[in-house]
Amino acid sequence: MTKPPLFTAAQMRIYAWFAGLLLAWELIARLAFGDLYILSPPTAILLRILEDFPLYCRALGTTVLEALIGFALGNLAAILLAILVVALPPIERLAQAIALVVFCLPLVATGPVLRVIYGPGWGPQITLAALSVYYTTFVPLVVGLRAVPPNWLDLIASYGRGRMTAMTVVRIRASLPYLVASLKIAAPAAFLGAIVGEFTGADRGIGVLSIQAMRSLDVDGTWALATIASAVAIIGYALVGWGGRLLAIGAPPTLLVSPKARAPQVLWKRIGIAIGAPMLSIAVVLLLWQVSMDALDLSRFFAKRPGDIWTYLVTGGQAAAHRSELFAALGATMIVTIPGYFAGLGLGAVLAALFCLLPTVEKIASPVAIALRSIPIVVTAPLLVLALGRGQLGMLVIVAVMIFFPTLVSCLHGLRQAPGQVIDYFNSFRAPPLTQLFLARVPAMLPSLFAAARMAVPMAVLAATVAEWLATGTGIGNLMALTSSTSNYNMLWSCVAILTLVSVTGYMLVAMLERRVLSHFAPEQVIQ
Amino acid sequence: MKFPPISRRATLGLLAGGAASMFAPMRFASAQSNPALNFQLSWLPSVQFGGSYMAEENGYWSEKGLDVSLLPGGPNAPVEPSVMAGTSLLGITAADYASAAVAEGATFKIIAVAMQKNPFTIASLPGNPVNTPADLVGKKIGMAVANTPILAALCALNDVDINEIEIVPTQYDPAPLVNGEVDCLLCWLTDLPIAMTVAGVENVTMLLADHGYAVHSQTYIVTEEALENQRAEIVALMAGEIAGWNAYFADTDAAAELTVAKFPDLGLDLETQKLQAAKQVDLMASPLTEEYGFGWFTEETVAENIATLGLLDREVSADLWDRSILEEIYG
Repeated sequence: MTKPPLFTAAQMRIYAWFAGLLLAWELIARLAFGDLYILSPPTAILLRILEDFPLYCRALGTTVLEALIGFALGNLAAILLAILVVALPPIERLAQAIALVVFCLPLVATGPVLRVIYGPGWGPQITLAALSVYYTTFVPLVVGLRAVPPNWLDLIASYGRGRMTAMTVVRIRASLPYLVASLKIAAPAAFLGAIVGEFTGADRGIGVLSIQAMRSLDVDGTWALATIASAVAIIGYALVGWGGRLLAIGAPPTLLVSPKARAPQVLWKRIGIAIGAPMLSIAVVLLLWQVSMDALDLSRFFAKRPGDIWTYLVTGGQAAAHRSELFAALGATMIVTIPGYFAGLGLGAVLAALFCLLPTVEKIASPVAIALRSIPIVVTAPLLVLALGRGQLGMLVIVAVMIFFPTLVSCLHGLRQAPGQVIDYFNSFRAPPLTQLFLARVPAMLPSLFAAARMAVPMAVLAATVAEWLATGTGIGNLMALTSSTSNYNMLWSCVAILTLVSVTGYMLVAMLERRVLSHFAPEQVIQ
Repeated sequence: MKFPPISRRATLGLLAGGAASMFAPMRFASAQSNPALNFQLSWLPSVQFGGSYMAEENGYWSEKGLDVSLLPGGPNAPVEPSVMAGTSLLGITAADYASAAVAEGATFKIIAVAMQKNPFTIASLPGNPVNTPADLVGKKIGMAVANTPILAALCALNDVDINEIEIVPTQYDPAPLVNGEVDCLLCWLTDLPIAMTVAGVENVTMLLADHGYAVHSQTYIVTEEALENQRAEIVALMAGEIAGWNAYFADTDAAAELTVAKFPDLGLDLETQKLQAAKQVDLMASPLTEEYGFGWFTEETVAENIATLGLLDREVSADLWDRSILEEIYG
């Protein structure tokens, strides 16, 4: 990747844009919201940060350290799992399924459980940070480890070397650009995970301070914390990107090759796998659920086993009433989650394409986009709700914002993956930028878009449930909050199970569509 | 390509190192189990638990040979599972949550009651005040949805139709009231109203306890098993706790100063804490505690609780309350 030339005029324009934005913010906050406790002007935020600088530094030190440890552990687990999956393809389906199920567990429910398991300390903060990052690293990395030109593997084979050499010499290097792209997303996500972990009981950190600020009507403090959190997330994002540029010099060496569908030829075998694999995955997950709770000797009072939930929802006396309560709440959540999901995904893809055409806009808008995603959802959710109401629109926007940013980053990366020869070919015909975009870059972007679309499914569900819990008090997020405060852990675990099932199903549907679409576009990508 | 060569050995080493570090969290987890007694508080540190901080600071526990850790709560922190799982010997929760947990199979006993009067309050602004439950009709109330049963009980006690009140979900935040998004808030007397007062927003409060809502709050819970097997420790723990609260009542400002000094990383405001500390005494002190001491309860107050909890659709037996620890301490 070559550094874009820095034009002083362009730089000046960017600074002018930023200054204008800040000035507009200041004026709106002072004039339109002067009497309301909603929006703080930038000067007041800056003053507050300076005033409480030592306090914020100590809190930041705690939360950043929690996030860093979680970031390291979560990504390490993701890398090892990805290498394992590519090295041993037979275990892939199962590993993917289990990794997905763990990622789909709703934070509102896992946080307290982790707190009980770990007791006091940093356990839940670190674990939630790790859980927030491992999946977004794992999925692209599997794609990256496979994005290798087959002739390179043939070369390795012709030297009589095995899979180990192929892995170390070819695959790991080919996957590095994918790793860097996902680590960039992981940096803000780990920070958010640590903050949510602090909600399960902590006496210091950014999450604790932001609850204090909101409760005590300290609007400047809330905005100061949101600013600090965003700055940290952006710095984390930039640091990973900078590290990536230092290490992985040169463009990704290959065309983006989608994972090959490895369906067997025989029909009965194919049907067997289509039915058997999900059944096996469900059985293994249920077994893990039971065994892990038994192994940790978790109290049956709150750690319900699969059998308890079966009784509660299917065979018990009140089962029908329990089911209808559960499905009513789920329906209310899905009505906003599904449109929000498509809105966020579409916006991310379109904006990525736009940025590709207008690099100057990218410079200005990228930090804003990162900031939007990085502000902890506990802060954004009430603000968005205030602006858009507690109805379905507000919820929809929260969901869209949550998945917009990862999609944007992923698609930008995909757009840049367009093979150089293809771009040269278009350039030699002086093809206009739009033609280049649609005929060369967008097809190259599709695998990244689909990877983002898959990961966005659980994210959308998480965002919707967290917003329901914090702000709107509707749907299944609210049901989880209600049931955990009244110790109705049967219903809580039923919510966890159904949400996980919904996320996994959505993920599978996207994956099916992905195979269809990529089988059409893949041939065009391998022209050479 | 400018990569350094990657050798098979280096890769194996890296993988082994990675695999080893996978077990790091487990070691981390086991390192957490110390022999200290844990005491699970119900919310983030503040002067709400000032008596416990006084007990810790003045050595009321250490002089009895106890090593007590005060575990902070939070918006997503569980008290009941922590006590039920044995992570904490003692926990703080309200009578309604304790009874709900018992209905789900927990074996809790309430051994003392810190807040004789329930702290739930309807806060409103002077221009549009809620002074009696009847004033709620036609109003928009901001509250955590989890608290809906509380509003329902208040309505039932005062013949108000809850369907004529519009519930707007809000969380831990007075801003919706101040911004005019809602007409009133359901919150704790010692929490959002004080934040508004300190921020210079005048407000009107109506304590639910003054309108028939009798639910013990900030109650101390232990499991039946612990009451049998760790009785001596519970007695010592509660004796220290009571001494701490008595020191608190003697000088609430000192308790506020201690809380602010003890948690420098929370950014607590001393004035707010002092106000809260003083106001909280109204909820904790009653003729009953004057006569018998902090935490006391009687058959009559328990019966009132059972009646109110019945309105919350909770079948509660008087067995949930167990005064034997207090009797041992005061006896």
